[in-house]
Amino acid sequence: MSTEFTEWLRSRDDEQLRALVTVRPELITPVPAHVEGLAGRASSPSAVARVLDRLDRFTLAVVEALVVLPSPTGYRALRDRMARALPEGVAAPALRVALTETVERLRTLALVYGPQTAPTPAPGVREVLETPAGLGPPAVEVFRHHPAERLSELIRDIGGADAAGAARPPKETLAGLLGDPATLTRLLGEISPQARSALDELAWGPPSGRVPNARREVRAAAAQSPIEELLARALLGATGEETVVLPREVGLFLRGGRIHRDLSPLPPALTGVARDRGLADRTAAGQAFAFTRAVEELCERWSVEPPGVLRGGGLAVRDLKRASGLLDLPEWVTGLVVEVAYAAGLLAASGGVDGDWLPTSAYDVWRVRSTEDRWGTLAAAWLATDRVPGVIGERDERDRLLNALHPDLRRPAAAEVRAATLGVLAAAGPGVAPTAESVGERLAWEQPRRRGARRDRLMAFTLREAEQIGVTGLGVISGHGRALLRGGRAEAMTRLAPLLPEPLDHVLLQADLTAVAPGPLTGDLRRWLALAADVESTGGATVYRFCERSIRRALDAGQGADEMLAMLERHSTTPVPQPLGYLVTDVARRHGRMRVGTASSYIRCDDSSLLDEVMADRRAIPLRLRRLAPTVIASGTPRSALVDALRAMGYAPAAESLEGDVLIARLDARRADGSTSPRPTATFNGPEADVVAAAVRAVRAGDAAHRSRRAPVGAPAGQVPRSPATATINALREAIRQGSQVWIGYLDSQGNATSRILEPARLEGGYLTAYDETRAAVHRFALHRITGITDVTDIN
Amino acid sequence: MSCLIVQSDKTLLLEVGHERAGECRKAIAPFAELERAPEHVHTYRVTPLALWNARAAGHDAEQVIDALISYSRYPVPHALLVDVAETMARYGRLRLEKDPVHGLVLTGTDRAVLEEVLRSKKVQPLLGERLSADRVVVHPSERGTVKQLLLKLGWPAEDLAGYVDGEHHPITLNEDGWRLRGYQREAAEAFWHGGSGVVVLPCGAGKTIVGAAAMAHARATTLILVTNTVSAHQWKQELIRRTSLTEDEIGEYTGTRKEIRPVTIATYQVMTTRRKGVYRHLELFDARDWGLIVYDEVHLLPAPIFRMTAGLQARRRVGLTATLVREDGREGDVFSLIGPKRYDAPWKEMENQGWIAPADCVEVRVTLGDGERLAYAMADPEERYRFCATTPSKIRVAEALVRRHPDDQVLVIGQYIDQLDELGEHLNAPVIKGETRIREREQLFQAFRDGEVRVLVVSKVANFSIDLPEAAVAIQVSGTFGSRQEEAQRLGRVLRPKADGGGARFYSVVSRDTVDQEFAAHRQRFLAEQGYAYQIIDADDVLAGD
Repeated sequence: MSTEFTEWLRSRDDEQLRALVTVRPELITPVPAHVEGLAGRASSPSAVARVLDRLDRFTLAVVEALVVLPSPTGYRALRDRMARALPEGVAAPALRVALTETVERLRTLALVYGPQTAPTPAPGVREVLETPAGLGPPAVEVFRHHPAERLSELIRDIGGADAAGAARPPKETLAGLLGDPATLTRLLGEISPQARSALDELAWGPPSGRVPNARREVRAAAAQSPIEELLARALLGATGEETVVLPREVGLFLRGGRIHRDLSPLPPALTGVARDRGLADRTAAGQAFAFTRAVEELCERWSVEPPGVLRGGGLAVRDLKRASGLLDLPEWVTGLVVEVAYAAGLLAASGGVDGDWLPTSAYDVWRVRSTEDRWGTLAAAWLATDRVPGVIGERDERDRLLNALHPDLRRPAAAEVRAATLGVLAAAGPGVAPTAESVGERLAWEQPRRRGARRDRLMAFTLREAEQIGVTGLGVISGHGRALLRGGRAEAMTRLAPLLPEPLDHVLLQADLTAVAPGPLTGDLRRWLALAADVESTGGATVYRFCERSIRRALDAGQGADEMLAMLERHSTTPVPQPLGYLVTDVARRHGRMRVGTASSYIRCDDSSLLDEVMADRRAIPLRLRRLAPTVIASGTPRSALVDALRAMGYAPAAESLEGDVLIARLDARRADGSTSPRPTATFNGPEADVVAAAVRAVRAGDAAHRSRRAPVGAPAGQVPRSPATATINALREAIRQGSQVWIGYLDSQGNATSRILEPARLEGGYLTAYDETRAAVHRFALHRITGITDVTDIN
Repeated sequence: MSCLIVQSDKTLLLEVGHERAGECRKAIAPFAELERAPEHVHTYRVTPLALWNARAAGHDAEQVIDALISYSRYPVPHALLVDVAETMARYGRLRLEKDPVHGLVLTGTDRAVLEEVLRSKKVQPLLGERLSADRVVVHPSERGTVKQLLLKLGWPAEDLAGYVDGEHHPITLNEDGWRLRGYQREAAEAFWHGGSGVVVLPCGAGKTIVGAAAMAHARATTLILVTNTVSAHQWKQELIRRTSLTEDEIGEYTGTRKEIRPVTIATYQVMTTRRKGVYRHLELFDARDWGLIVYDEVHLLPAPIFRMTAGLQARRRVGLTATLVREDGREGDVFSLIGPKRYDAPWKEMENQGWIAPADCVEVRVTLGDGERLAYAMADPEERYRFCATTPSKIRVAEALVRRHPDDQVLVIGQYIDQLDELGEHLNAPVIKGETRIREREQLFQAFRDGEVRVLVVSKVANFSIDLPEAAVAIQVSGTFGSRQEEAQRLGRVLRPKADGGGARFYSVVSRDTVDQEFAAHRQRFLAEQGYAYQIIDADDVLAGD
């Protein structure tokens, strides 16, 4: 651990440290005990790799240049190097500004330390960037394991003085020779054109190649092949049995002193069709409406006909196809609907081994809210989820089918790529729908270390899904989508609301027994129509069809004929067509004329001829009917089968209880227990400001104790008053926010009651991270073991 | 607020009462088929065939998308627009063209499409030598089959190979005491410019005259294919009356007579008669160098005629029909073999213009007696419809209905001969059924037309193509299981414009709580969807009104 780096970090003021942990929140998870810990964590390879992954191409290039150049590098030298890779058009002042800003940003990220004029890469950076800008390791590294005799041979072959008597170790002599442009120019002149072209292949990276028997020891005079020519002149070095690498000095020379081929301090421009923004917003809103509706329709259906949970988790292909048919959407969109509903916590698996996918109780809360509000929930869940609906139906590396809702649909990078892709769309000019290629190029510039086929796929998924959900319209990010991306859910909703169609409270009734709702309906009317009619077509409008079966369903649910006619009249702008009125009364006339009991299973009917009819019907033979009285028939068939059979015969029986009341047959909507909804993944807007502040405070306090060996404060005598768990959590939150100390009662791991004075820093996952004054160290405390809490001021 | 709503299932809902509904209808009619036209909201459907029809009529995807976007009340789903553009782009990628050396060639503007098609096992044997990367020879006899297959593959070919002129024969319209109506002229011209195709006009709108006008354009020998003998006579008389043709120039090719003349009218039945598995009358197609073939009632075209038509692609063809809907779903074959839709006019609009009579549809529900219900419950499933459709109660209702219209010409239509005979007795009216001789039939029709006979009882022989101008009331007592087509035809019987300009009435007598009522529900839906006022009344009310 570099003490210089630690000292530099310690010298940063609180605000700078807060800025650091805000952009690199992983550094305070958990909160380190002191600045030394913080420095250690900041320079660990994984943490460095993580932050490098987030750098754009220009910033990364600056880091690479600093790694390649001898450190500490003068600022001027850095600028000269960078300037060589820039396109002609970029003026020196523009570069100066860009470079100053970039170096400052790297200092904020603690990737670079030291003074502004002589920036130095932080420890760990060099190790992570093994081949900076595609350059091989320095000659000293390449030839480290070569035996001394071999090195002298090489030095002699490339025209250096015999190193036997030299003071410097041979590999440094060799490195010095390779670092000399004159030597390299001469060596390159000696080799054959084939060898030269092999070198040119490696010049712009990757800097290594594979050859058999790489470690062969060849003298320049005896070289047989181009590779041997190069190996004999140390223009290539063997780093393994079969790998050769281009030493960095040679690479830099071949590149003409440039570290990067071409660079731009500005991201590539986004190109695409320009659309009318209003139209794009409206299209997105239309899609938002359709998507929200699809989720609702799916949940409603699954309330009564839930699909089973597969043994391996997930949803059967058959069930997805069925849902796709129900929603009239392609399968991939259906997969998206299912996954987003799941991510939003509206769907969950319930009931153990033979479980079902059921809407949760959160769904009941969700469905009564306004459309824009419902959309906000869905879109936010989609943004944050680490699951990738796009891969549904594909096979994983072990050739297993990836089903919707399967646990294996998670991809750690999903949410980040999604946010980055949408960020790119948001950066496009107003109304511009960037092409997928141009979005891809921009992403490659913004996060060059993440480029690859996998990210390109995630990006493509994001683009098509955003269109389906209504975050974009016609490829242009919508106003509400933009607001949502900024984290302003309320703003997104207010922007979306006026674009959505007004809910209507009327329909158009027609003589062909259809009802057309020329827009979305108010909740009550919609539910009533869903009961009394079948949906025939959906979209901006909904077409309902009344038929005997649907009317009977409403009657079964306890509606009366008069009530239904009144409802129709109230909500129709035109007179109720005569055939529709006739249908309702006609079905009601027949409905319930026949009654069927449970316990003994009987049929009774005041109309004895109707029973004659049933008894005479040949189809009734399997029902094992026996006439009890002119108006009653008993049956040996269970009631439900009997009812079905009678209906199939064309009757309209109603079920009745033993007391003679009509049973109301309504499908009860079912709900999941709601314990297995997915945990929302971390947000990407960084941690909350007060958490950051508290964490920095804790590190500072711990650091002070660490350096001065601050003596532990004695725990005050007396018992901490017991307090309820919610009060404890609230008090801790308050203390974190204010940065104040608290006195807690705590059961340690042996179960002993102790009392501590704490400076709470962070509350997360059932644990409290705090600076413990009584132990003079940062500790984690299990919340359930905290018995009570009180203000320190109360001690006295 | 605009008047059109685009649904995700590719139906378009048009609010009829809206002020822009008229212009919107004009904009969407070329690429969407009218599916339902009830009183407030009309439903159009955008199908691939409809889009290809639009392409064939010279519309492009840009126009279609523009019409959708500019009239739609809500944002149009992007996926739908993409689909429209893609579907329309499929038409015309392949073309059938004439080649001076090789006869008929299939040309592709898109090589990948041509390759895909050439790889199809079904298409391969119909093609000949590959002339270049984009051109391949087609056997002239397979022109129709190739078009059929390409449509099935989703790449409908544009047929630019042209037509033979056929043997010249002078035919002119003889507009003496009558005029060609505007829409009839437009329909005939639309067909002539398109080369071949289908004209869709409602029953009673004068399709025969459109046929005559088409013949006057072609001025060539013509083969007319009609559904039955009565209809053939009808055509003959109309042609003599409306054109310069004389009786000697028109031949009938039916079961009884086999005349081949410059204009020959044949029935589908004769054409499809087989003896020992061979179609005996196929040579009729080659008997003359026909310049035009007219298909009456295209939606009834039997499958063998399709096969014969596939070999006649070099001759001009015109199809006449009231509906493109076929109960067997072979709309695609009509498109590829007869041709795209060239003209249509909505039923209701013709009615508003006074070309066809407005109609009121009334369903009368008869309750079966207790004994009948018992018998109905015990009846075999296949006998049930017959049983409830022929209940004696219907006869009393029919009598009451006839009494209700003492001054009108009334047609009573039924399916079952026994029932019809009984009705004839009760109503004291003549009965026309399958066994009635042609001469007798025509005498009765004439008497009915002249008003000598007021009530006529007919079986389904009268379903098609007979002209009964003054039938103001039709009473249907039984039918073929609720067929939509039959309903359209029967309603057509009463839709001819009346001398007094009065409306028509169409009664269906139906037995309550039986399959008869279920079938009636289909018919009700069809009629209501066509825009007719529909009412249901109880038989008791009819009988009490006496």
